[in-house]
Amino acid sequence: MTTIDRDTRIPDPIELDRAEEERLRAAAGLGPVRTERGEYAGFDQVGIPDRPPQTEREREVYSLDEGEMLVNMGPQHPSTHGVMRLVVKVRGEIIVDIDPVLGYLHRGIEKLCENATYTTVLTYVDPMDYLSTMHNEHAPAIAFEKLYGIEPPRRAEYIRALVVELNRIFSHGLMMGFLALDMGGLTPILYAFINRDEIVDMLSAISGQRMLFNFFRVGGVNFDTNDEFLSRLGTWRSRVMKNIEMNEHMITDNEIFRARTIGMGTLTGQEAISLGVTGPNLRASGVPFDVRRAHPYSIYRELEFDVITQESGDSYARYLQRIAEIKQSIHLIDQIIDRMPHGPVQAQVPGIIRPKPGRAYAAVESPRGLYSVYSISDGGPNPYRFRMRDPSFISLQAVPKVMPGKLVADTMAVMASFDPVMGGVDK
Amino acid sequence: MEHVRRSRTAAHALGRRRALTTPVAAGALVRLLTEHLSADLRDLWTDADTVEFTIDGARALDVLTTLRDDDDFAFFMLADAAAVDYGPNEHFEVVYHLFSWKHPAWLRVRARVDRAEPRLPTITGLWEGAMFHEREMYDMMGIVFDGNRDLRRIYMSPDYRSFPHRKDFVLPDDAADSAAAGVNPLERPETWDLTRFRDAPGVTFAASELREDAPAEAVEDGETLADQSRPR
Repeated sequence: MTTIDRDTRIPDPIELDRAEEERLRAAAGLGPVRTERGEYAGFDQVGIPDRPPQTEREREVYSLDEGEMLVNMGPQHPSTHGVMRLVVKVRGEIIVDIDPVLGYLHRGIEKLCENATYTTVLTYVDPMDYLSTMHNEHAPAIAFEKLYGIEPPRRAEYIRALVVELNRIFSHGLMMGFLALDMGGLTPILYAFINRDEIVDMLSAISGQRMLFNFFRVGGVNFDTNDEFLSRLGTWRSRVMKNIEMNEHMITDNEIFRARTIGMGTLTGQEAISLGVTGPNLRASGVPFDVRRAHPYSIYRELEFDVITQESGDSYARYLQRIAEIKQSIHLIDQIIDRMPHGPVQAQVPGIIRPKPGRAYAAVESPRGLYSVYSISDGGPNPYRFRMRDPSFISLQAVPKVMPGKLVADTMAVMASFDPVMGGVDK
Repeated sequence: MEHVRRSRTAAHALGRRRALTTPVAAGALVRLLTEHLSADLRDLWTDADTVEFTIDGARALDVLTTLRDDDDFAFFMLADAAAVDYGPNEHFEVVYHLFSWKHPAWLRVRARVDRAEPRLPTITGLWEGAMFHEREMYDMMGIVFDGNRDLRRIYMSPDYRSFPHRKDFVLPDDAADSAAAGVNPLERPETWDLTRFRDAPGVTFAASELREDAPAEAVEDGETLADQSRPR
C-alpha cells in the first residue's frame, strides 16, 4: 500500500490530462496539441484540411495561447437548433472565443425566387424560417402588393394579422420549451409542443397545410375562415392562458433555470443595436423597437398594444419578454376577432402578375425580429432581385459577443435564448 | 362554403389600385437630405413609406456616418444591407435600409459600385452587425469591403471560386442542358445511359446500372458506347 504523507504533491488533474493527451497524440503520430503563445494552430485542429488563414479574424480565432484548444460544436449537435457548427476556443471549461460556421443548410432561396413568378415566391419562402412561416409570407406579400399597386381587402388584412399572431404565439412557446430543454429540462418542451399542435391544427384547418402553410396570396389570403378554424380557435382561447401560466410556473421560478439564465449573455441596448439584433431580443435589452409600432403595416395602426421591454438584457429577460409577448398576442387576437369585418378575402389578381418596374421594401415583426424583403421588378413575371433579411441570421452575431468568459455548457443555453432558426440563418 | 364563393365574386370590386408614388409624409427628411448631403445626393425619390437616393459607392461610409451621427437624421439602426447586380454590362449596387425615430419613412441608400472593380468601404465600424451582411455580399456577389476584418465566405465553402448571385452566374450543368440552349436533358439518350461514366476515375456502378445489352459488333472501330447512343 502506498503511503501518502503530508508533503506528497497531489498532481493537478489538468496536468494529468495534459500528460495523458500528449502521450496519446505521440502514440498516434500527431504533434503536440498546445503551441507556443499565440501561434497559428491551423484547421486540422477542427478536423478540416489545413490552409492559411484568409482574414485577420480567422487568424485570431485559430491562434492558440498556452492552455487553449479548439473544439467543434456541431454541425450534428442536438441543440444547435438546426445544422450549424460553432468553432469554440476554450481554456479548460471557459470559453475564449467563438466562430460560427454557417452554410450547412444553404439552399439559395433568393436565387430560386429570381426564377419564380411572384405567386410562387410565396411558396419558396415558407421553408426558410420554418417556425414563422406566416411572417415569411407576410413581408413578400406586402412588398409585391406595393410593387403591383394593389391593396388587399379589409377582411384579408384582419385574417393575416390573426394568423401571424397565432404563429408568433406558438413560436415563442417553442422558444420557452427549447430554452429549458437546452438546460436539461425535458418537460416544458413537451407541453410547448402540445400547445403548438393546437395552433397548428387550427392553422391547418384554415390553410390546408400543417407546417409550411402557403396561406398568403398577392392581394389577400387563400381561404376565408371556416367553422373548424373558428371552433378550434374558441376552444384554444378558452384555455390558453391556463396552459401558458402552467408552463410559466414550471420554468420561471425554477431555481436551476434562474441560476443559468440570470446574468447570462447580457447585451446592453447599445450593443444590441450595433449588432443588428432586433425583435424580442432587442426589446429585452430595453430598446422599444417594434416594427408593428415603428412602421405600422397591415392593421397594426388600428390595434391597441404597448411595446413591451425588459431592462436587464440577459437570457432571463429574453425569456420573460417572450412570455409577455405571448400574452400581448392573445390580447391582439381578441381585438382582431372583435373587429373583423365581413367581406371578400382576396382581390382580383391574375395568376402571373407583371408589376411595373420599381422597387419595394417591406418589413414585418417576425417572432425573431425584423424580417424584411427588398424586391426589384423589371416589368417581367418574376422578381429581378429578391432579397430577404432574416433576423436570426443577424442576431446570431451576438452569441460570439456575449459568450467569452462563460462556461462551455452555457453556450447552447444562451444561444437558445436568442432563438435562432437555422433554416432562416442559412436561407 | 357559400360565403367563400360569395367573397370570390365580390372580390374584383375591392382590388383597389393605388398610386405607386404617393407623396410621402417625410417632406422634412427630403429637405434635410438636400441641405446636408447635396454634394453626394442623386436621384432622390420617394414612395408611400420610403425615401431613397443614390450615392457613389466610395462615399458610402461618409454618408452613412452623417446619417447615423447627425442629430437631425439619427438613423441609429441598420435594417438591411444587400447587393444588387444590374447585369454583366451594368453596375452593382449595395442597398442600405436605415431606420430613425425622427422620420416616418425607411431610408434607402443605394451605393453604386463599379462592376469591374467592386470595392466599397466597410461600415462594420458604424454597425458591428454589418459584418454578416458584408460577408454575405462578398460570398454571393463578390463585392469587396475595404477595411473589413473578416471578409471571408459565409455560406459557400472557403475554396469555392464563383459568386452565385451574380446575374451571369450559370450552374455548370445548366450551361449545356438549359432550356435557353435549346436542350431538354430528358430527350438526350446519353443522360439515361450511364456507360459513359464507366471509365471515369473513382466512379463505380452496379452491373445492373450499365447498359451492356448493346451488341458488340455494332460498335465500330474507335467509337464508344456513348458515341453510339448519341442521336445522329
